[in-house]
Amino acid sequence: MKRQKRFEKLEKRPVHLDGLVQEWDDEGFVALNSKNDPAPSIKVEDGQIVELDGKKQEDFDLIDKYIAEYGIDATQAPKTMKMSAVQIANMLCDPNVPRKKLIKIANGLTPAKAEAVISEMNFAEMIMATQKMRPRKTPMNQCHITNTLDNPVQLAADAAEAAARGFAEQETTPAIARYAPLNAISILVGSQSSRPGVLTQCSVEEAEELSLSMRGFTSYAETISVYGTDEVFTDGDDTPWSKGFLASCYASRGAKMRFTSGAGSEALMGNTEGKSMLYLEARCIYLTKATGVQGLQNGGVACIGIPGSVPGGIREVMGENLLCMMMDLECASGNDQAFSHSDIRRTERMMGQFIAGTDFISSGYAAEENKDNTFAGSNMDALDYDDYLAMERDLVVNGGIMPLDEQKAIKVRNQGARAIQAVFKGLDLPEITDEEVEAATYASSSDDLPKRDMVQDMKGAKDLLDRGVTVVDIIKALNEGGLSEVADSVLHLAEQKITGDYLQTSAVFGKDWNCISAINDNNDYEGPGTGYRLWQDQEKWKKIKDISWAVDPQNMKDYMN
Amino acid sequence: MNITDKEVKEITARVIAALEDREDSGEKQSDKNELDATDYPLYKKHPEKVVTPTGKTLEDINLENVLKQKVQPQDFRITPQTLKMQGEIAKNAGRPAIQNNLQRASELTNVPDARLLEMYNALRPYRSSKQELLEIAAELNDKYQAPICSNWFKEAAENYEQAHKLKGDN
Amino acid sequence: MSQKINKQLVDQIVRNVIENTSETDQAILFNKEEKPQSSDGQQISAENQVKNFTPENDPNFKQLDWFEHVGTVKPGREKEEVVIAVSPAFAEVFRKTLTGLLHWDVLRQLTAGIEEEGLKYRVIKIYRTSDVSFCASEADQISGSGISIAIQSKGTTIIHQKDQEPLDNLELFPQAPVLTLETYRAIGRNAARYAKGMSPDPVPTVNDMMARVQYQPLSGLMHIQETRRVQTGKDAEEICLKLD
Repeated sequence: MKRQKRFEKLEKRPVHLDGLVQEWDDEGFVALNSKNDPAPSIKVEDGQIVELDGKKQEDFDLIDKYIAEYGIDATQAPKTMKMSAVQIANMLCDPNVPRKKLIKIANGLTPAKAEAVISEMNFAEMIMATQKMRPRKTPMNQCHITNTLDNPVQLAADAAEAAARGFAEQETTPAIARYAPLNAISILVGSQSSRPGVLTQCSVEEAEELSLSMRGFTSYAETISVYGTDEVFTDGDDTPWSKGFLASCYASRGAKMRFTSGAGSEALMGNTEGKSMLYLEARCIYLTKATGVQGLQNGGVACIGIPGSVPGGIREVMGENLLCMMMDLECASGNDQAFSHSDIRRTERMMGQFIAGTDFISSGYAAEENKDNTFAGSNMDALDYDDYLAMERDLVVNGGIMPLDEQKAIKVRNQGARAIQAVFKGLDLPEITDEEVEAATYASSSDDLPKRDMVQDMKGAKDLLDRGVTVVDIIKALNEGGLSEVADSVLHLAEQKITGDYLQTSAVFGKDWNCISAINDNNDYEGPGTGYRLWQDQEKWKKIKDISWAVDPQNMKDYMN
Repeated sequence: MNITDKEVKEITARVIAALEDREDSGEKQSDKNELDATDYPLYKKHPEKVVTPTGKTLEDINLENVLKQKVQPQDFRITPQTLKMQGEIAKNAGRPAIQNNLQRASELTNVPDARLLEMYNALRPYRSSKQELLEIAAELNDKYQAPICSNWFKEAAENYEQAHKLKGDN
Repeated sequence: MSQKINKQLVDQIVRNVIENTSETDQAILFNKEEKPQSSDGQQISAENQVKNFTPENDPNFKQLDWFEHVGTVKPGREKEEVVIAVSPAFAEVFRKTLTGLLHWDVLRQLTAGIEEEGLKYRVIKIYRTSDVSFCASEADQISGSGISIAIQSKGTTIIHQKDQEPLDNLELFPQAPVLTLETYRAIGRNAARYAKGMSPDPVPTVNDMMARVQYQPLSGLMHIQETRRVQTGKDAEEICLKLD
């Protein structure tokens, strides 16, 4: 065929590198309404759910059993199930119907009925509903702090900078699993040296993650994955009961945690039972609710390429975030994985959550260059900061990231690097030199740092665990290094595990260890004049307005004498 | 279905009472003896109610005491009493499932870290026989006075047997 | 509720509700339109989905001269060995990784890497699971050194040690698209070094965040095909490789 020149040019656009596939219902490559999804139904006898979405009690799999036992309000269910899906969808995007009323109704939905409700809504309606249904009034953001060399100095400096930029939570994961304790400690002290109260976590194997929390190296956990089919749940090395127990283990140590799920994980792990992504995700959301975990990270998450590849996939992702919030769960709404080669499409990816506002708009904005992101790249990275700030300023949206001037960035990066230097010294870990501190202060990626002896660092990490080091040793090391203020901040963060305030839904820390959650900052959106408005949050709006490269009309210094 | 007019009237009265009740309070009033949103956060509103497992107050948790070894790692732990208070706050904000989780958690505060990790691992698929799960259930009940968690293990043992998730089932 | 409650109205509603309610709770089924149907109007259930394949009924199964099954696996006695576990569809159903590297070449590099360090290898085929971590943890149980490598058809690879939880690892290479034949040789080498009790530098890998975007759907499709070759309860089999 003689090629048409415009088509040839179009084919060279980045979007043509994105993996897109046709729908395949039987293997779950369908966003919602698979031909195999069950019709919604419920039957309650003596307060017990004896039929759920077309399945009789004796045919329940583990997930059905768990949801029927703990996840659905059996008193509310018959009432809710009599309402039509369109009616509930309507109430969701109607500002006049209060959030509280919808939570009550939603408690009586079954997974298939929930899917039917979400399926009635278009993308704009989902945005409307999300700004009402998110539990915490003030939207916030979370970031990833990683680098491919697990360089602790760079981790601490990036954590300090990200804290100053306003991220309420930070998540790390090691490139090499054995580095985990060092990564955890690095972002802990880095963040607290810059803005006390930032919560930090380290994503590793479930049992190890709990162990890091018990030592006080982390303050919360998130990558506690649940799945929508029994087979995939087993491949994830858990069952609903083991995950439920794990949730109670975290709470027993006073640590915040949320589960993780998301469209596409079952398809990627090869076992969907032919069900759609939204139906399977609905089951995950009910599992989370059933467990009594305060929140969930969902919205495609690490498997975003799967919903992203099928028709309507990104609408489905917004829909699953919304469903999470309808269940009164904190929602860390994805946007945390490289999604597209196209800058236009990756902006599209986060638009819904960004405009509506969620508890955490991204559950991992790369606060490093994407090439250093060991979660295999995020949707947006440190080099997108200024674009993001301009978007916040254009749309008057609090996207959870604040401007930071260069001088302040240099200062806090240096503080972070010094803090981890002191901790390594105090804990007898391999030395961090002044040269490394200096390099990390001015670095953008791990390429800008001298190479460390990784074998020695890993031996140090193992030794640290063997010696039974805890957060108390870190506090002492910081103090010995002359950083008593940072020591005090790490101490206060550890202290929060005694009070348990941040076990409540959507909890984070503001200034002076003020716990902000859906208890004392509950979302009261009921249309214009209510809810969160950036222009009423004057301090933040002023910062966002003052973008560094805006010209001051009164002082055109480049042109005037 | 045979229902008399009298019964209809009774039901009507009850429906009206329920509607009026809802109108009055907006939401169910919490028990006065329980904590609710107005008591939150405990750290700011009721620091005196919070103690560590060794009986220290929040005032005792300071840098000086850490350096003097007066505050130990085991002080950075939540107590069953504090979990109970947070459970009440959660429930009274309309989240009873969270209270249930915190109830299970409060039973686990006394289980040592290492043993707790072992218990969790034992509950993962294909790790334990039914008998082994029931032994942990007994241990939770007898040694740690954790009846809810004990039942959790019993329930899992039954379900794992039916769903073939016990040791050797893979 | 702002308007005054009308007793007659409520009374009427209650009567209507009672008329429409039978003695016991019944399954509330929504109108038929809500039940998804296939194009020919048949309701589809999970039962008529495709069952897992065995070599006997697998249209894509191919018996290979260089990949000979020699019986059920036995625990290794020699400390000087690394066990390489391949996933159910490896070589005999799929012949290439996600990026087109031939399985033959990949195995040649992994084994050469092990031999370079003076150790022996055993190759086994796993049937119980298609998950790379569980393949590896099944293999390290029978590895004389306690070290195993597991590889899936799509190319995802892990180095695992006996005392680790299944989903933990010594080194994990989750991004199949960035792995080259040189990487596989280095993985073999490092696994052998772990088996000798050394602490090698981890194999360096490229972090290409766009690889996932490009390959994730395809990777999902390959894994689905792999998972269809899982046979629950079937022991792993020893493989005699003839790579020359």
